[in-house]
Amino acid sequence: MKLFEIKINAGFFASGLLALAVLGGGCRQAGQAGKPVIGASMLSLQSEFIVKVKDAMEAEASDRQIRLIVNDAQRAAVTQVQQVESFIAQGVDAIILNPCEMEASSPAVQKARAAGIPIINVNSETTAEPDGFVGSRDEESAEIALQHIASLLRGKGNLVIMHGYMGQAAQLKRAAATKTLLADFPEITILAEQTAEWDRAKAMSLMENWIQSYGNRIDAVFAQNDEMGMGALQALEQAGLKDKVIVVSIDAIDDALRAVKDGRLDATVYQDADAQGRQAVQMALDFIQKRDSVEERSVYIPFRLVTRGNVEEFLK
Amino acid sequence: MNMNEPLPLVSKLAKRNYLRKYGMLTAFLLICLVLSLLTPGFFSIQNTTIILRQVSINGILAIGVTFVIISGGIDLSLGSVVAFTGVVAALFAHPGEYPLIIALGMAILAGLAIGGVNGLAVTRGKVAPFIVTLGMMTIARGLALLASDGRPVTGLSDSFNYIGGGSVLGVPIPVLIFGAIILLSSFILNKTRLGRYLYAVGGNEKAAYASGIRVNSVKVLSYMICSGLAAIAGIVLASRITTGQPNAGLAYELDAIAAVVIGGTSLSGGIGSIGGTVLGVLLIGVINNGLDLLNVSSYYQQIIKGAIIIAAALIDRKK
Repeated sequence: MKLFEIKINAGFFASGLLALAVLGGGCRQAGQAGKPVIGASMLSLQSEFIVKVKDAMEAEASDRQIRLIVNDAQRAAVTQVQQVESFIAQGVDAIILNPCEMEASSPAVQKARAAGIPIINVNSETTAEPDGFVGSRDEESAEIALQHIASLLRGKGNLVIMHGYMGQAAQLKRAAATKTLLADFPEITILAEQTAEWDRAKAMSLMENWIQSYGNRIDAVFAQNDEMGMGALQALEQAGLKDKVIVVSIDAIDDALRAVKDGRLDATVYQDADAQGRQAVQMALDFIQKRDSVEERSVYIPFRLVTRGNVEEFLK
Repeated sequence: MNMNEPLPLVSKLAKRNYLRKYGMLTAFLLICLVLSLLTPGFFSIQNTTIILRQVSINGILAIGVTFVIISGGIDLSLGSVVAFTGVVAALFAHPGEYPLIIALGMAILAGLAIGGVNGLAVTRGKVAPFIVTLGMMTIARGLALLASDGRPVTGLSDSFNYIGGGSVLGVPIPVLIFGAIILLSSFILNKTRLGRYLYAVGGNEKAAYASGIRVNSVKVLSYMICSGLAAIAGIVLASRITTGQPNAGLAYELDAIAAVVIGGTSLSGGIGSIGGTVLGVLLIGVINNGLDLLNVSSYYQQIIKGAIIIAAALIDRKK
């Protein structure tokens, strides 16, 4: 009886392997003849922005008759490397990588290149150089936001800054750009800076505490993302201070766009998830069709300032 | 069972509880004193209101998990349940669709259901509470993402947003809810049969069983109370941030459990009080607020918070 079970299991296993092999072979063939296959490993499908990039990739893939396999790395670089390994084993035609970390996700890039499968990084970079890159320069977002704050303040006033999760690439780059840019405005003083971990509830508490200790002295708030910007905004509104304080944040999430439209949030900075996702798929297809003769290997999609004047074109 | 005749053992425990409580109270008052001296804005009605509003969510969670810990269990799924129930409430809270009570009712039902599953897996399934609720932590997070399609649920009605943002006679509504829950749960733990059974089950499960207590039912109820309160916290949070956020509440269970332990509740069960938990919640809240007022760097903040938690517990044990 037991032997029988084992036999069945072994048979099952073998046919599974066979099916996998056929499937793998099929993929390769499909890549040359019919529908190309692209494997994508995304940082986290719990992040609203990354979900938007993924949606754009899927839309572009279906427009262009490409089969797109999307995996969620759940912020773990190890998982990401494993996902890319299995893409290589499946014999996909190209890989799109939305890196979890600069350093720790690099092996994924190296392995794909060693296997001769074109790999394109989307949204953020790795230390290892991929075949192509589609994304935005994170520093630019902070520069645009602060430039706007400085012009609203006419170059003079007290600023508080809300940081994202300390040590993450976006936080570090936005903080570095903040410092560089503020050097040009000696009369803008940073009253306080603190992390609210990208989180709206935490930002609300932090802003309440700042209002308590600095009161009327705060002229402007710069939050490194919209979630925190919205939290700061709500705290200021509850304290009846919103009319006196400028709030600018980054990402252009739906809630923030609505707040800009209603004249509550002064500005947000739009990062183009749609263009990033679509162009990543286009570039992958380019590499599949033209191999090494692809000319444009890095595409930088500009950030854009969203104010009440132009918010309509961003609202769907 | 006659509740008016405390056994000698019980009165001894009560005495120890008093010492624990006062040790923590001293630490709490000391920290408040230091912060008042260092920061001018700290000791004011306005700042007290702010602190109370900020702690109310962690407070509601901590009271819930106090029930589970007293009965000898643990609940690690709290933060995810907050996210899931917040999303559920938000989905039913778009203006003009359903009456407010439906949004609240659905969220609380979702919470109670999760608590029921936790409780049944622990009692009928005989799986360690740590494992069950660790699993539920992931399941509830997945449910939150599934229900919301991975995006924040926005555009909620004014009446829903009033729960987290509004106030009555100058007292924020979250604080009123927190206060009501403190009173109600102290009453349940101190004055009802369920309360006595919870202590008995957590103190000595076999003895409780031998004396005819339906141990399994008591445990399932404790998990349902805990998750039901987490649902209320989820509603308050979603309303306060005016969105149902599938990513909200990350690691909230840790702050809640820290507050419970600081408050002198034993992680091995049978000992603990709502008063202690409330003190623990206030202590964490005051530290968070005070360090922000002093503009202490966020790196130092984490170290200081951890050190104060351990130090407070040490003072408590020394007594």
